[in-house]
This record gives sequence, structure tokens and C-alpha cells, in this order.
Amino acid sequence: MMTAFIFLCLFAIAAMFLGFTNIRGAIVPLAFAGTSIALYSVISGQPFWNHYLTGMVETGGTAKILCALVLLNALALIPFYAWYERRGQEEVGDFTGLFLFASMGAMLMVSSTHYMSLFLGVEILSIAMYVLAGADRRKSKSNEAALKYFITGSFTSAILLFGIGMIYALTGSLEIAGAVEVEGQSLLQLAYLFVFTGFALKIAVVPFHFWAPDVYEGTPTLFTAAMASLVKLASIGAFLRIIQLNVDLLPAWLNAYYAMLILATLILGNALAIKQQSVKRLLAYSGIVQAGFILMGFISLRPGEEWPVLFYFIAYVLASVVCFVVVHFVESREGTDALDAFRGLGQRNPILAGTITLALISLAGGPFTSGFVAKLYVLNQAVANGYAALAVVAVVCTLMSVYYYYKVINAIYSKSADQALPIEPVYSGLLILFTLITLAAGILPSFFTGLLK
Amino acid sequence: MYLAALLIAIPLASALLSFFAGKRIAPYLSLASGVVSLFYFLLLMGSYDVVKNYLSYNTSLAWIPEMRIFFHVGFDAAAVLPLLLTQLIVTLSTLATFVSGNDRNAAYYGLIGLTHAGLNGFFMAQNPVTFYLFFEATLIPVYFLVLQYGGPERRKAVFKFFLYTVFGGLLMLAAIVFLQFHMREHLSLAAWDDFYKNKLDLKYQYWLFAAFFIAFAIKTPLFPFHTWQADLYAQADRPSLMIIAAVMSKMGVFGLIRFDFFFVEAIYRWQYFLIPLCLIGVVYGALVAWRQNDMIRLLAYSSFSHLGLIAAGILTMANLGIQGGLFAMLAHGLAAAGLFFVADVLIRRTGTTQLDGMSGIARLQPRLSAYFFVIVLSAVGLPLTCGFVGEFYLLWCLAEYKPYLAVFGGLTLILGAAYLLRFYQKTMFGQTPVHITFRGLSLSEDYVLIVIGLLVIVLGFFPIHWVGLGQYAFRFMNHLPAN
Repeated sequence: MMTAFIFLCLFAIAAMFLGFTNIRGAIVPLAFAGTSIALYSVISGQPFWNHYLTGMVETGGTAKILCALVLLNALALIPFYAWYERRGQEEVGDFTGLFLFASMGAMLMVSSTHYMSLFLGVEILSIAMYVLAGADRRKSKSNEAALKYFITGSFTSAILLFGIGMIYALTGSLEIAGAVEVEGQSLLQLAYLFVFTGFALKIAVVPFHFWAPDVYEGTPTLFTAAMASLVKLASIGAFLRIIQLNVDLLPAWLNAYYAMLILATLILGNALAIKQQSVKRLLAYSGIVQAGFILMGFISLRPGEEWPVLFYFIAYVLASVVCFVVVHFVESREGTDALDAFRGLGQRNPILAGTITLALISLAGGPFTSGFVAKLYVLNQAVANGYAALAVVAVVCTLMSVYYYYKVINAIYSKSADQALPIEPVYSGLLILFTLITLAAGILPSFFTGLLK
Repeated sequence: MYLAALLIAIPLASALLSFFAGKRIAPYLSLASGVVSLFYFLLLMGSYDVVKNYLSYNTSLAWIPEMRIFFHVGFDAAAVLPLLLTQLIVTLSTLATFVSGNDRNAAYYGLIGLTHAGLNGFFMAQNPVTFYLFFEATLIPVYFLVLQYGGPERRKAVFKFFLYTVFGGLLMLAAIVFLQFHMREHLSLAAWDDFYKNKLDLKYQYWLFAAFFIAFAIKTPLFPFHTWQADLYAQADRPSLMIIAAVMSKMGVFGLIRFDFFFVEAIYRWQYFLIPLCLIGVVYGALVAWRQNDMIRLLAYSSFSHLGLIAAGILTMANLGIQGGLFAMLAHGLAAAGLFFVADVLIRRTGTTQLDGMSGIARLQPRLSAYFFVIVLSAVGLPLTCGFVGEFYLLWCLAEYKPYLAVFGGLTLILGAAYLLRFYQKTMFGQTPVHITFRGLSLSEDYVLIVIGLLVIVLGFFPIHWVGLGQYAFRFMNHLPAN
């Protein structure tokens, strides 16, 4: 595990410095290689220097799977950052380096057993993402996004830190699993409320979602993809780990708290998405709704039952990476991400159109896609724990999401006279690969859940 | 072991190949897959022994073992006739695209193949989850078929259809999720056989049956949920419309057959309300069809009217109702496909969908008028055509249920004759316009019409073997006390 952190850091620094040189073409392959090495060392459970982590980081179990997912997510995105080379700017080094740092922060978040390292991870991830949100510094929208993200992000950190501080004050320990017997139970519950709300803000579920659509819209789309996949994965993953480590101490109101968040998210998130004309905003709301679904897997979570949530991660990350990458290609040609820019995509580039269509169908929970199975798993979790009504509301709310996802598909397959929109074969290949995995996870889910257990 | 799954795999493989094949090869590939599926189906049917092995050629795979969900398809008595219909109509619909100036691209045939695979899977599904999967999966290729190849107003029409159907599907999914998990200690959902044996509390039955019924009522469509139908039919590409009208419209009533052995008590309690609801659709659809000037809309409402009668017959929960319902599904499918194909032939030649725009075609094209006449006779339910057999059974069991309801049901025969003969007379007879040059029937068109015409007559003469299949499906009722 330690080697993974070291390699990510080294390659991030190398990427940033290579940005000053003439061999910028090497940055992205190098970043890819570095992340692959990190992934290998996580999966193989490389023990080298692990004792320097001083027990603040978990190296096995769910943490290991989550780290692997984070790194796979990074690997899926890194090739697309080569796009910045063609602008003839030296920024590709900065962006790739920052992204590697963000991945490292995400890894630290999902593997922490200590609030200190957890907070460190949150900050490493967030600060890198604040910069990336403002990556398009000539556009005012990007600047606006960076500022908004920074302010809400700081607010989130403050709430989280306040909760952590209270836990420390009550228990005298920053171990996540450390709060055993304390006086002032009610105060501890308040502390938990602060911590959970901090994560709810980071995950962006209603009513803590207000920042997400604006930030997603302004951020350069390739980094929105990272925001929608990597940041969500890390935040929900860290939340999952806290729940896991505190499983005997969790307050009784927790399920009701989830149910409230889920209900608000599914109803409001879907309702607000319907009117959106910007596809990025629409996908932002879609991400909010998907997070609500993931939370459903948290209801009465027992150790060893994390796999529905993990499977949902795979389904969600694959679909949202494909969606945002396709939006990126359309946007970079058309200059806008409005729904009208997607008209006729089916004729202009069948591969972009086909992959985003399947990704949207998966997000909507269409049969034989990973989204369907993932939804089934979390619905099972809700129903099995006595929240059948919630599951029924969730299923019926899906109708709204079908409406806005198919609004995009409808636009894609309308006729247009625009010229073709070619992209490099590598990118086509990657998009097709992600789509095939989406289908494979929908058709053979037991293979994937076998890996996650 | 995988014999049933092969019937899904053949069209699926052809669909995937079609997407990558050229525009020239794809139609032949699709046709070949249709013919191969048809013969493969006949082979399976030939060696299917309904008495010894009610459920044959099982394919059961542990799909989601954590939740004890199986992917289970197989061949049973209820599925035989709908499967026969599917193989026939898909093949004929592919043949119907073999016309000069066919500009459908390879993706069209790929989507047809996906629809075909989905329909085969749907009719062979042996448990509720597999049933739902194919119910929804079939929708997606059809959505794209209409969206990409339909008429000018297609976008709105298909979206309405899609949202309606998905809404029904989601209600069904909610019900299945409930069944699957809430009742998992007492309930087995591995196959219909076990599924029907489960006892479900009446208060749950009401809610769950309502969810299933709305899903099927939207899909069929039945009375208050029919508003998407005429719009969609008017906009769909006509060869694919043959599949939509002839086979997809049967999915709803077939679903009723699949689930009515489970919701027996709920259906008995609600019959007095549901059957009249279906019959309202029968009369209403027929009256609206009578007043239509647009051929496709006329046929759409006619379809709506006939399916109402089938649903009413099935809901009587009588042995004859199930038998007649299954046979009428086949008969109506053949007639609807034939009528829509004739409409397609006429529209391609005259360039109009309006009845006012054409007359006297019988003199120009006597062969077409003869085929058309046979199909119309079957559609109006004349004895010795297959249309008669199904409707007779359905009306019989309606009369046994409540005689006065059979009177309303019987109106479909009278009103059906009225609007279909009006359709026939307006197009075929009358003054032949001098300025029209009417192209003769091509070989493929001839072929489609001959096959449908022959089947309509042969099945009308020898229905007994086919109708009898339904009573084996009905044996599930014996698990439960009647009324």
C-alpha cells in the first residue's frame, strides 16, 4: 500500500516537471504507467514500508477493493487527458500531475482507519480538484466553478472537521473505530451527525446538493468526469468505511437519516433534472440521484454486505465516465453542452452515440446492463431491511429519470445535416471497452460480485 | 439443455452480425435468421410432448445467486402459439422490406434481430424476473426502430409510448421486487410451476395484481391506457409495425395468462369491473375505427378492439377463455400482420394513407384484392377462418360468465365486419382512377400474402390440435379451488 502512495506521488511530481520540457507526449503514458504500478502494488498486497503507515491505513479487505476501484477509475480517465497536449499548452503536465495527486488523496480517504489520515486524504483530493475545476482559466464559468467548489468544499471540510473534533473531545482518540465507551452519548451522536453531513455534502445528495450542478457545468468536462466518478467514489467509499468500522456504535437514527436523504434525493433530484437543457447539469442531477440509490445499500449495512454498494460503484463509474467523455468530445466541437448540440450525433459519430446511449440506459437501469443489476442489489438491501415503501418510491421515481435520459437519447438519434465528428481510434476503443464491461457486468454479475467479495 | 436458449441466441447472433454487416448483406442475414429460427422452432415443437414433459428444453442459469434469481427459459404449452407467431411474423416482416428502393441500413436489421430475440425470450421466460427482463428489453430496440425509421411525427409518438410502457414496467418491477424479497420465506419464484403454488395474502394480491394489470393494460393496450397506440402505429415504419402490431401487442395479454393463475382470488373479486372495462375498449375501439379515414389508424383501433376481447376472455378465468385467448392471439396476429402489410402495399403505391385517396384497386390488381379478402374474412371472424375459432371460444366463455356481456363482446364481430368491409370496399371497389399506374405485386409481396392467406385458412380448418394446447396451460388452475 505504501508503495502505491509513493509511486503516485513520484509520478505526479515527475508529470508536473515534465510539463516544462519538450517531451510532453511522455506525460500521459508515464502517468498511466505509474498508476498501473500503484494498482499492481495494491492488488498484490505489497507490504514494503507498510509499517511507516503506523496503522493509520488499512491495507486489506474493503479498503483494498476500494483502492483498486479508485485506481482503475484513474486509469480509465488518464488516457483522455492526452487531449490537452493538442492545445499546444504546457498545462497537460499540471493537470495530469494534479489528477494523480487527487487519486492518491482518494486512495488515502478510502483506506483510512484514522480521522487524521482521512482528513488529509479529503484535503489532498479536494485541493487538487479545486484547481482542476478552474483549469479552463480563460473561461469565466470555469473560474466561477472553481470558486464555488472551493467555498462549498471548505465549508464541507469545516463541518467534517467539527464533527471529528467533537469525537476527539469525547473519546480522546482519533481512531475511526476508537469510540468505545463514552460519557455524553448524545453529544457523540451530534458529532456523528456532523461527520455524516460532511460526507453528504461531499457526495452531493439532496438537500446538500446545491453546489453540484453549477460546479459540474463550469468545470472542464474531462475533470467533471473525475468529479462525478473519482470524487464520488472516494467520498462514498470513505463514508462506507466509517460505517463499517463503527458498525456496533452507530446511532439508532441512522437508517431514518438515510431514508430521509434518499427520499429527498430521489424525488427532488429527479424532478430538478427534468427541466435541464444543459447535458452536464442533467448529468450532475443524475449523479445526485445515483448517489441516493447508492445510499440505499447503506441501510442496516452489516460487515460482509458491502458488495452491493461496491457493485453499484462499478456500474455508476463506468456509465458516468462514458457519459462525460462523450459530452467532452461533443462540447469541444460545438462549444456548448446544450441538448441541441447532441442532435444528430447518431449520424455524426455512431460510436460516441452508441456508447453514451448504452451508458444512459445503464444509468436509467435498463435490463441487461450493469445499472439494472446494481439497482436490484440496493433495492434488495432496502426491502430486506424493512424499507419496502422506500424501494417502491425509488422504482416509481425512476420513471422521471427515464424521461430525462431518453430525452438525450431522443436528441442523439434525431436527424441533422451537421458534418461528421471524428475522434481518435484509441478513444473509440476505450469507450467501447467501457461499454462492453457495462454489458458484461449486467449479463454476468456473479463474476463481478465474486471479485468484490 | 440449452435448446430453448438457442432460440434466443440465433436471432441475437444475427442481430450482432447485422450491425457490422453491410447494407447489402444485412437483409439476407436477417431473413436467414428468421427462417432458421422458424424451422428450429418447428423442430422443437415437433418433438415437444406436452403430456409427458410440460416444460421442455429448459435452460436455467443462476444469474444472481445472492438473491436466488435464475435466468430461466423453456418451452411450455402456453408459449407454443405465441412463439410460432413470433417466428412467422418476424420472418415475413423482414421479407416485407425486400422492396425496390429499400433504403433501410444494416442497423435496422440489427434492431429487428434484437426485437426477435427479446420476444422469443419473453414468451419462453419461466419465472417473473426473466419475464420482466425481456418485457423491458424488447422495448428498447422497438423504441429505436420507431425513433430512427418512423414518420415525421415519430419523436413525440414514440416518446409517449415509451414513457407509458416504462411506467407500467416499473410498476411491475416494484411488484416483482416485493414478491422476490418481502415474501422470500414462503415464496418460490424459480419457475411458474412453483410460483403458482404459492399462496399470497389477499391484501397483497390486490396491490400486486393492480401493478401487474396496469403494466399489461398499458402494453396491450386496454381501455383507458390506449392513447399511445394509434399515434405510434401511424408513425412507425410499416414492416416493423407488423411486428409491433402482431406480436408486441400480444405481450400484455400473454402476461395476463402467465400471471392470472397466481392472482386467482384477486381476479375473481375484480372480474365484475375488469371485464366490462375491456369490453368498453372493444366497443369504443370498433366505433372509432369505423370513423377513421386513415388506414393505419383504422387498423390500430381495430387491433385495440380485438385485444380487448381477448383480455376479457382471459379474465373470465375459464378453461375456454385461456384456450381461446391463446388461439385468438395467433389468429389476430396473423390477420393484423396481413392487414398492415396490405396497407403498406397500398401506401407505397398510392403515396397516401387516406381511404378517400384510393378506389377501384381490385380492377388493377385482382390478386391483391383476393388475398386482402381472405385476410379481412379472418379478421372479421368468418367461420372456417382462424379468426372465427378464437373469437368463438372467447364469446362462449363470456356468455357463460354473464350472457349480456357476450352481447357486447359480440359487437366486435358486427362492428368489425362493418369497418373492415368499409375499408375493403373503399379501397378495392368503386371508380378506378384513370391517372393511377398501379405497380404489380413483387415476388416477395406475393409470398408474404400467400403465406398469411394460407395459414389463415389452414388454421381455420384444423384448429383443434392448436387450441387444445391451451388446456395444458390451464391445468395450473387445479392447484387452487375454483371460486
